Amino acid sequence: MKHAFTAALALVAAPAFADGETVTIRGELVDTWCYFSGVMGGTEAVQGTAHHTCALWCSAGGIPVGLLAEDGTVYMILAIGGDDQSASGQTQLELASHEVTAAGRVFARDGLNYLVVDQIVEDHGITNINHSDFGSVPGFAIPNPEG
Amino acid sequence: MMKYIALFTALPCIALAQDGPFSEGSEARSWNLAWEQPARFEATVVDMLCEITGDCANECGAGRQLGLLRAADGVLTYPNKNNQGIFTGAAVDLAPFCGMQVEVDGLLIEDDYIGATNIYQVQMIRTLGDETWKTADGWTDAWALAYPDAAAQEGRWYRNDPRVVSLLEAAGYLGTGETWQEAWELTR
Repeated sequence: MKHAFTAALALVAAPAFADGETVTIRGELVDTWCYFSGVMGGTEAVQGTAHHTCALWCSAGGIPVGLLAEDGTVYMILAIGGDDQSASGQTQLELASHEVTAAGRVFARDGLNYLVVDQIVEDHGITNINHSDFGSVPGFAIPNPEG
Repeated sequence: MMKYIALFTALPCIALAQDGPFSEGSEARSWNLAWEQPARFEATVVDMLCEITGDCANECGAGRQLGLLRAADGVLTYPNKNNQGIFTGAAVDLAPFCGMQVEVDGLLIEDDYIGATNIYQVQMIRTLGDETWKTADGWTDAWALAYPDAAAQEGRWYRNDPRVVSLLEAAGYLGTGETWQEAWELTR
């Protein structure tokens, strides 16, 4: 009984982190500020080709990148394939707006889901072709080529 | 048509912005965001990868996202944005304070419908006990130091960032290979 109590206490006192849940998730890399804040409109407008240029800007600018899964869950990406540069890193920048299949570990903390991507299993490229629905978001993302 | 639907679904939410549990004493400026709450609180600045996973080998190293472990309730908030216009995160502004106890003022985003909770926009930060606030606007200066040639060019940083420019040249503004002219016409 004493051992059971000690074990239970150890579980309660354990640090918030653990090994994480091993997962394979398919989804699109999105910039989380535009997605969560609504600063540029509804969530469907801030993904895909419509939002690609902005996704590059936000990733380069250090805004956290997330993986928007097929079920609508957003996973905040903390590392990709051993690259821990989650603020402005090159690996995540090159995957902006791409749909990927990612294998890694999920951690839940205070209402948000976090993902450490161990491996990009497959890069499907940019598959969400939505610029005909939304134009470019924001509207100034594509400058007039004629000046 | 969809662009107008997106706009109109966003507009009614503006009126719903309201105070939250950490709004008392906040002097944060509204961004007219749908679910913003002014929020001023004390916290410890933590390395997100270390705090979440226990991978602390490069704790507080450059290029890693940083979080705010709130003193009042132990909740980890995730600063997604600093206090500069658009497209700039908060890690650069938080980095000098990593591992330190601070007070921050800004906006919390709480939108259960899309899963946004404990998302934060940092406007001001100061070391706990310090009387002087620092505005969280250091990203563009840090960028200019890293890319002096690009910073010397006319225009906003995001138009001149060499990494972004390289990717746009490779795959275009839509990311799918269209020329500049084609992308322009397709999005009119």
